[in-house]
Amino acid sequence: MHKAVSDVGCGELANRIVRDRCGSYLGNCSIRCSTSCIHAVVTTSYILCMLFLATLPALADESLPPGPFTETECITCHTERDPSLIRQWREGSHSAASGVGCGSCHGDSHKESAIKARKDQSCTGCHEGSASHSYSTSKHGIITRIEEARQDWRQPLQRGNYRTPGCSYCHLHNGDHGNTMAPDRGPETRQWICAGCHSPRYIREQFANGKRQLEIADLKLKEGESLIASAVDDQAGALSKLRKSLNHHRHNVLLGIGHQSPDYQWWHGQPALDGDLIRIRDRILQSSRRKSLADNLEE
Amino acid sequence: MRNRIIIPLILTLLAVPAGFAYVHWSKGGTGTGLYSRYWSPDPVQGYWDPDNFYQSPDSVQGIFTGELCVQCHEGITPGIVTDWRGSRHAQNEETVYCNDCHGNDHQQLRLPTPDVCGNCHAKQHDEFRDEARYGFPSHVLAMERAVDAKHFVDKPKAEVQSCVQCHSVATKCDSCHSRHRFDAAEARRPEACITCHSGPPHPDDETYFASAHGKLYLAEGDSWDWSKVLTKGNYKAPTCAYCHMDNGRHQVAEKSLWKFGLREINPHTSKNQVLRRKWVKLCSDCHEEEKARQWLTELDQERKQAWQKLYAAEAILKDLRSEKLLQPAAGERPPYPMDWLDTLWPRERIGFFEGQASVFYNVSAIERDYFEMWYFDNLGAYKSAAHGNPAGVAAGHRKMRASLDRIETQANELRELSQAEKEAEITTKPSGDLWMKGAYTDYNREHN
Repeated sequence: MHKAVSDVGCGELANRIVRDRCGSYLGNCSIRCSTSCIHAVVTTSYILCMLFLATLPALADESLPPGPFTETECITCHTERDPSLIRQWREGSHSAASGVGCGSCHGDSHKESAIKARKDQSCTGCHEGSASHSYSTSKHGIITRIEEARQDWRQPLQRGNYRTPGCSYCHLHNGDHGNTMAPDRGPETRQWICAGCHSPRYIREQFANGKRQLEIADLKLKEGESLIASAVDDQAGALSKLRKSLNHHRHNVLLGIGHQSPDYQWWHGQPALDGDLIRIRDRILQSSRRKSLADNLEE
Repeated sequence: MRNRIIIPLILTLLAVPAGFAYVHWSKGGTGTGLYSRYWSPDPVQGYWDPDNFYQSPDSVQGIFTGELCVQCHEGITPGIVTDWRGSRHAQNEETVYCNDCHGNDHQQLRLPTPDVCGNCHAKQHDEFRDEARYGFPSHVLAMERAVDAKHFVDKPKAEVQSCVQCHSVATKCDSCHSRHRFDAAEARRPEACITCHSGPPHPDDETYFASAHGKLYLAEGDSWDWSKVLTKGNYKAPTCAYCHMDNGRHQVAEKSLWKFGLREINPHTSKNQVLRRKWVKLCSDCHEEEKARQWLTELDQERKQAWQKLYAAEAILKDLRSEKLLQPAAGERPPYPMDWLDTLWPRERIGFFEGQASVFYNVSAIERDYFEMWYFDNLGAYKSAAHGNPAGVAAGHRKMRASLDRIETQANELRELSQAEKEAEITTKPSGDLWMKGAYTDYNREHN
C-alpha cells in the first residue's frame, strides 16, 4: 500500500491565508510551523481581515451610476478604476475577440451586477452540454443548486464564503477575470482554491489521481490513433468518425476529473473510449478480410 | 458399498473447509475482496474506503479537542468550519466537535466510517448494515460489488477510482449527507442521489425529472419544507427518498421488485407479492390502490418485452460463438489476470451474467453492441418504466430494437463474409495480435 507523503507545511499554509485575505497588509509575515504559532497567526489575521473586510461595504457604497451602459462605457470607466481586471479579461478567453463582454455576465446596469455574474446561470447559457452537465451532476453542483436560495451571493468569491464552489468560485476566484483554473495558472492556484475546504493532502492525492486518469485516457487516444494510422483504407469515413469520438470521450474524462463527476470520468469517459478502440479494431479487421477477398477474386 | 459412502463423505468434509480456507486466503492480499491478491490500491482510494486504506496524516503533532480544532481550521479550511457551524452537530446543546468523529490525536486522525456515525445514529446505522440481507444490488454491498468485478481488478487502479467514488456509498455516510453539514433535509432531495444515479446505465435523474412526479418537484420543490420526515402527507410529490427510503428507513433495497433492472424475476412468487403490496401501500399515500397495481403490471409487461429482445440478441451471439465467427476469438483477447482457467480453456463469454458486467472491453464489436443494448438501452427503458416516464420507455425500446437489428445485420454480414471466404478457398485470417497490443493495452497488462 502506498504511504501518503507529508502534508504541505502548516506554517506555509497559514502564511498563504494571511496573504490571500489581507493582501499586502500582512503579506510579509514570516511564520514557522508550530501549533501555537499557527493558532496565534490565524486568529490575529482573521480578526484583522474581518476588520478590513468590514470597511469594504462602506467603500463600495459610493453612489454608483445605475446605467444602463454600453460595452464601451463599461470598459472605459473600468480601465481607469480596475486596470488589472480589464487586463485579465483582455488576456483571457473571454476577450473582446470572442464577443463575451462585461454585459454578457453582468447585465447592462450596476444593479446586482456582481450577483448576476457569480451565479452559475451566467455561465451555463453558453457553456452548455457536457461542460455544464458534468458540473451540475457533481456533488459541488447539486449542493450549489439546492442551496442557491439560501446562499448570500453578495459575498466575494473567497474561501469560507460559499458552501460549495459554483462556476465562478473556481474559474474567477477572488474576482480574477482571467480563468483561475486555466492550465497556465499552475497547480498551486488550483490547489489553493480547493484548500478553502479540503486538506492539502486530499487535494494533492485527488490531483495526482486525476493526472493518472488523464494519462490513461491519453494512452487510449494514442492506441486509437496508431491503429487508425495502420489502417489501409477508411470506408465510408467510419474511422474518421471514431477518431472524433475518441477525442470527445477523452474530453469527457477531463471534464469528469475537473468537475469531480464520477459519471463523466467513467460512463461518458473511460469505457466509452474502450468502445471506440473495439470498433476501430473491428473496422480494421473487417476491411482487411474484405480486401483479401477482393484481391483473391481479381486474381 | 461402505467405501461408496465413506469416500465421498470424507472428500466433502475436506472440500468444504478447504473452500472456506481458500476464500479466506484470497481476501488476505494488498487489495480487498475475492481478488485482493491481484491488486493494490491507488493512493486516493483511502478517501473512498477509509476502513481499509486510509492512513492518518503525519503533518501536525499534538492532541486537539473542541474549539481548539475549530479555531485553527477556521483559518486553514474555513469552508468546512462554516459548514459545520450550520449543522445540527454545532447547534445541538451538546456540541459534536471535530474530534468526536475524527479522534483527537492529529497523527492518528480517522476518516469517519458508517460505524463512527453509528455510535450516535444507531437506528440508521443498523438499518443500513441490515440491508445486506436483500443481497445485491444494495447500498451496503456496493463496495464489495465494485472490487469483485473483473474489470476493477484488471484495469489500472487509477482508472477505476471513478468506480469507487460512487460505490463508496457502502463505506461512508457523506455520499448522501454531504460533509460537514450532514443535513437530513439535503439527503431527502432528489439531487442528493443524482451524482451517482445518472448516466447511461442508470439514468434515474433524467427519467424521474421527466415524470409527472419529477416535473412537480422541479416546479415547486424549492418551496417545500424539507425538514419534514418522509411520510404520507408531508410532500406534494414523491422523490427518490420518499419511495425508496420511506419513513427514513435506510434500506433502499428493501422493496426492490426488479432488482435495479438487472435480473429477470417472476412477478408471481409469494415473495414478490409481498414486495408488491408494500409498493401499492406506498403509492396509495396519494393514488388509488387499483391504479398502483395497474402501473406495476405495466412495468412487468415492459420488462417482459425487454427480456424478449435481450434473449433474441443473446441467441444470435451464441450462434456466432458456436459457428466460431466471433473475432477476436477468445484466445486472441487479453485475458483477465485472475482468470487462469481462461488461459487453459479460452471461451467467449456471452450474456450479461456469464460475462458479468465486465464485457465492455477486450471483446468483439458485436459483443460490445450487445453490452450497450443490455446496459444502456435496456436499463434506460427500465428506469423510465419504473419512474413513470412513458416517452423514455418508448425511446428505450426503440433503441433496443435498433440495436437488435444492427446485431442481426452484423451477424449476417459475418456469415456472408465467412461463406465468401470459404468459396474463394481463403482461410479466415485470425485477428492475430490486433487486440493484444497498443499503448493502453500494453500499459494495462503491466499495471493492473
